[in-house]
Amino acid sequence: MIASDPITLEIVKNALSSLADEMALVILRSAYSPIVRDSMDYSTAICDRNGEIVAQGLTNPIHLGAFPDVMRILVEQHLDGMKPGDAFLVNDPYGGGGMHLPDVFLIKPLFIDGALEGFAGTLVHHSDIGGLAPGSMGLQATEIFQEGLRIPIVKLFDAGTINGTTIAFLKANSRTPIELMGDLSAQIASVDACERGYVQLVRKYGSASFRGFLVELHNYAERLMRQQIAAMPDGRYDYVDYVDGLGDDPRPIRFEVCITIAGDSVNVDWTGTSPQVQGAINGPMPTTTSMTYVALRAAIHADIPNFAGYMRPVRVSAPLGTIVNPTAPAACAARGVIAYRMLDTLFGALNKIPGSRIPALGEGGPSVVSFSGWDEGKAWIITDGILGSWGGRSGKDGVDGISSPGTNLSNQPIELIEARMPLRVLSYAFAQDSGGAGKYRGGLAMVRSYEMLADEGLVQLRSDRRDHLPVASSGGLPGSPSYTWLEDGGAARLLPVMPMGPIAISAGARLVHLAAGGAGLGNPFDRDPQAVLGDVLDERISPDMARDAYGVALDTAGRSVDAAATAVLRAAATTAEQLTAQQQAIFARTNNAARLLG
Amino acid sequence: MTQQRSYRVGADIGGTFTDIVIMSSTGEIFKRKQSSTPDDYSRGIVIGLGELMEAEGIPADAIVELVHATTVATNTVLEGKGARTALITTRGFRDVLEIGRVRVPRLYDLDYEKPKPLALRRHRYEVDERVLADGGILTPLDSDALGAIAEDIVAEGLEAVAICLLNSYANPVHERAIRDALEALLPPDIFVTCSCDVLPEIREYERTSTTVVNAYLGPIVRKYLDALSGRLRKIGVSCPIRIMNSAGGLMSIDAASRKPAYIIESGPAAGVIAGAYMANLAGYPDVITVDMGGTTAKAALIEAGQPARTTEYEVGAGINVSSKLVKGGGHSVKLPFIDVSEIGAGGGSLIGFDGGGLLTVGPESAGSVPGPVCYDKGNDTPTLTDAFITLGYLNQDAIAGGAVRLNAARARMALDKVVAQPMGLSTEDAGLGVQAIATATMSRAVKAVSTYCGRDPRDFALFAFGGNGPMIANEIARTMGIRTVIIPPSPGVFSAMGLLFSAIEHEFTATDFRLLVMDAGDSFLAGFNRLDGRARDAMLAEGYADAALESEWFADLRYQGQAYELTTPVPAGQDGAALLATALDNFHAEHKRTYGHANSANPVELVSYRVKMRVVRDQSDDMDHWAVAPNDAPHDARRAVFPDEPHQEIPVFNRGHLVAQARPGPFIVEEYDSTFVVPPGCTAHVDSFGNIVVTLGSEIR
Repeated sequence: MIASDPITLEIVKNALSSLADEMALVILRSAYSPIVRDSMDYSTAICDRNGEIVAQGLTNPIHLGAFPDVMRILVEQHLDGMKPGDAFLVNDPYGGGGMHLPDVFLIKPLFIDGALEGFAGTLVHHSDIGGLAPGSMGLQATEIFQEGLRIPIVKLFDAGTINGTTIAFLKANSRTPIELMGDLSAQIASVDACERGYVQLVRKYGSASFRGFLVELHNYAERLMRQQIAAMPDGRYDYVDYVDGLGDDPRPIRFEVCITIAGDSVNVDWTGTSPQVQGAINGPMPTTTSMTYVALRAAIHADIPNFAGYMRPVRVSAPLGTIVNPTAPAACAARGVIAYRMLDTLFGALNKIPGSRIPALGEGGPSVVSFSGWDEGKAWIITDGILGSWGGRSGKDGVDGISSPGTNLSNQPIELIEARMPLRVLSYAFAQDSGGAGKYRGGLAMVRSYEMLADEGLVQLRSDRRDHLPVASSGGLPGSPSYTWLEDGGAARLLPVMPMGPIAISAGARLVHLAAGGAGLGNPFDRDPQAVLGDVLDERISPDMARDAYGVALDTAGRSVDAAATAVLRAAATTAEQLTAQQQAIFARTNNAARLLG
Repeated sequence: MTQQRSYRVGADIGGTFTDIVIMSSTGEIFKRKQSSTPDDYSRGIVIGLGELMEAEGIPADAIVELVHATTVATNTVLEGKGARTALITTRGFRDVLEIGRVRVPRLYDLDYEKPKPLALRRHRYEVDERVLADGGILTPLDSDALGAIAEDIVAEGLEAVAICLLNSYANPVHERAIRDALEALLPPDIFVTCSCDVLPEIREYERTSTTVVNAYLGPIVRKYLDALSGRLRKIGVSCPIRIMNSAGGLMSIDAASRKPAYIIESGPAAGVIAGAYMANLAGYPDVITVDMGGTTAKAALIEAGQPARTTEYEVGAGINVSSKLVKGGGHSVKLPFIDVSEIGAGGGSLIGFDGGGLLTVGPESAGSVPGPVCYDKGNDTPTLTDAFITLGYLNQDAIAGGAVRLNAARARMALDKVVAQPMGLSTEDAGLGVQAIATATMSRAVKAVSTYCGRDPRDFALFAFGGNGPMIANEIARTMGIRTVIIPPSPGVFSAMGLLFSAIEHEFTATDFRLLVMDAGDSFLAGFNRLDGRARDAMLAEGYADAALESEWFADLRYQGQAYELTTPVPAGQDGAALLATALDNFHAEHKRTYGHANSANPVELVSYRVKMRVVRDQSDDMDHWAVAPNDAPHDARRAVFPDEPHQEIPVFNRGHLVAQARPGPFIVEEYDSTFVVPPGCTAHVDSFGNIVVTLGSEIR
């Protein structure tokens, strides 16, 4: 009877997902630090009594696979003795199931009449958890011991009583204790809100029926996922992409994935990927599984509820000791950069599946610029994510100015930054002539530049995609490269994509970051000349770019398409390599340090 | 000759109908539903009003006020028919408008289309100037550049100009200089608006977007309101016209023409204001309103008699799916709105199955054409209305006093074929299932305005109206654990009636971004006094008497570091220190209530002052005319189905049958504009204001 009642199941499914959304809203509204409230780097989850996810309040897809490992370990090691009013804290990737140290989980078991019925989980990226760099994401770390406070699974609450010792350790180890405690309070409020709603929901149906519903809904999610996978042709689809590398003399880091579709299940294997590195960009396995789920869900165009059952047909494997499955004590605080490259690699492989509608690649994940300093004994830190653009899509252009689908972060209001921090923002704009040409144009790159106002401070940078550009699709051209220039007391210098350590700067220093642009899809000579004209009128591209990369000539006033001249241009035999070279030359002319720093 | 009676008019425009309500100074009420005239909505008002005046013998000069709720602003955005708009901004920041907040409203959706900016990049002009966060001037305005910009605006055929500079909330001097210069340089029909006049608040994208929306709407709304007053004058009606704004207050027609971004949710606000008014009157200060029509259901929270407000809104995002987490579906408008959560579920919602085999209701709708299967106009996919007719809740032959004929047999067949047979259910069980899903969907809208904001719906009564609201109200109440349901008189034209009971009210804000240290009391008070003075001047300029003005103070506060403020009441009439202390106490308490935690040791930041100016007016609360006469005439009966209850013959009453005595469910109340179902286990009576008040049984499913 229960199994054949799709109505009750639909209601329970919606009730759980709206409860998880409610948890997320509680955090959004009451969190303290900019990275939580403005960037929205956090997630919430509800799990069943076995620790399997039944709903996620998703604000950040990179957390999609965050909960299964930590929940498995929690249930395996701490189920005995768990009691009402307990809540657990953990961030350790090695042994705790965490992602990186700034991401602190708070998980509360939910009891009804003495029986465990589920868990409320939250995961928040905290502004600072100690370690060698302000913001706890220093690239130069070589071991996790340098990255901040490691929290194994510990009880923050024991039968409703908060553990003051744990709180004292947390506060003593953070540069920003007020923000840390504020954000943690938001997490506590969130799991408490979940508990109220969950108890009411379970009581409505009774425990036995409710448990049955959850089993059915796991099966339902699995069924949907299998249907979608079965619709893809069987085969092995592989792809390789790169991160430029670390420090002043970067060496490329290779990402190789092989996706095997067999009937209604899929195997995703990362064999061939580079070994772990001496720097903070190693990504423990939960990040790797997260990105795999994100890519598959984006590829299948179906609305699948966040019941763990959908993960059953998916197997993710990576050799131990690779950068996507590192062993302790590999540093991992800045692992975001490889998460986005994994997503790109997966998209590349999925794009090989006949009938797929995967876009050309986007900017390759947000760049992170962080400024920090001390003011009268108090630390100030701003971790600013510079979001990017999407690549051209089948039937439509990429998007100018948008978050990577792997993260869905927001940007921080400039006026809030200027009102609060000793920083001035000099510009926030699209870069003309960036992005990759194509029948469907790649999204324009973002530029954001800053001026330091405090006497002294530090700047850190995490970026990529200067040597290895966003990859185009179906004859489009690659996206434009990313650059960062720093001018401090004189000439501007080009910073490496990932400098190994903070750079000291002084008042008046100016930094301009140019993100990578999205890649194009389809031959640019097939682009509607009117669309090219529109881009010229909007100054998204220059008349030179229209001519050299799109084969479109305009009249002398630049207000309309010269059809005859365009036909001549487009009739010339021009290879994609020639077009790419012309595109990059124009990009370099338009977007250089002298122009962008004014 | 005795003094002539005077009349006030409420006019509410919907997609299908324009509702006109006239109330006389002695309390008589006249109603008319008139087909809307989408080519020019003002025509429908004037036709409907003219006919009603003629029928009732009301002379034009006896009409003393017309209050209007309009969808013209929101439709302009949804249909992309606004003005060709320019934006003038600080050098380096012309893309702020288009970049927005860069989030995607649906995860994993690689087909996402960003809303097209309402000012094209080629029409976004940058000027050399720079104001700092503390209001200081880093770079003076290059006024010489404005001449060329004005020429280009004219050459490009632009119709509106928005001006929004970085940090102008802290010092508007450059914005004003540009505005004054352009007003001198441009032809007068070009609409010029600047952010310091529309939304002087911190956050550059939200302020820019709001100002651009204002410009985009400006010429269209101005033209519409001019047409409306012109047509009214032609039939001799020359009274003041007031427009309902999104926050439920009334604006003069001039203010609405200058700040059309304030009237985007004019229509939904009218219903909520009406609900708040009637619920207060009937002794229910805490209610959740549910307004359900053919395609959507809207919910709003009223607490202590006041509708909940929000300043986070996106226009053009289509239906608000009640997730406040993900933005990016539309254009941000950060002005005061009544917090209305909208869900794509109404009488016309189509029934189907998703890929995994679960039953779904909406959000696709059969609309009014072809409409539900029972309308017999060619639609074969069953809708929620078809489920209601199958369950016996709706009249089996016709609704709207016979104006719309219904084919119950076809509805039943469609439900049987699409839902019952594939699921192996009886047709009735399929109907009940559809109702349960629709109830769950609409409950989400109710949760969005209650549990999501930290309010327990069980502490509220449910106040339902709209064509379909009363039909499903009791099921929503059951699901949410709500014990009392109220159905006001004339639920179908309730919003138009509500217009006659709203106050003239306008909200003013000023951002003063700083920490509230203990000795800041005097400057805090000074900030309020400054804004209060400005607000008063603006109201006086609109012609209201100083003695009639009443102001309420609020401060937007948050803990240092938080991104979102809580609008906290600050009772005026205290000295600075006391004012600050009360504000902080209220903030900590409100934070605790909303989020479950507060820390009075943490520093608190002031973001903005808010002053609400209200015009006190003489309004009779003599509501005897709402009362319904008892009716003991024989009533109809028909067969209907309820969960866990056998088919049964149940009474079909009208409101009058419930006056003399409370009656136990199950029964149905049928009226001209709505149908109301009282299931088993509930009792209902009509109160002295004509409301049907239902008490749900103690058993909560």
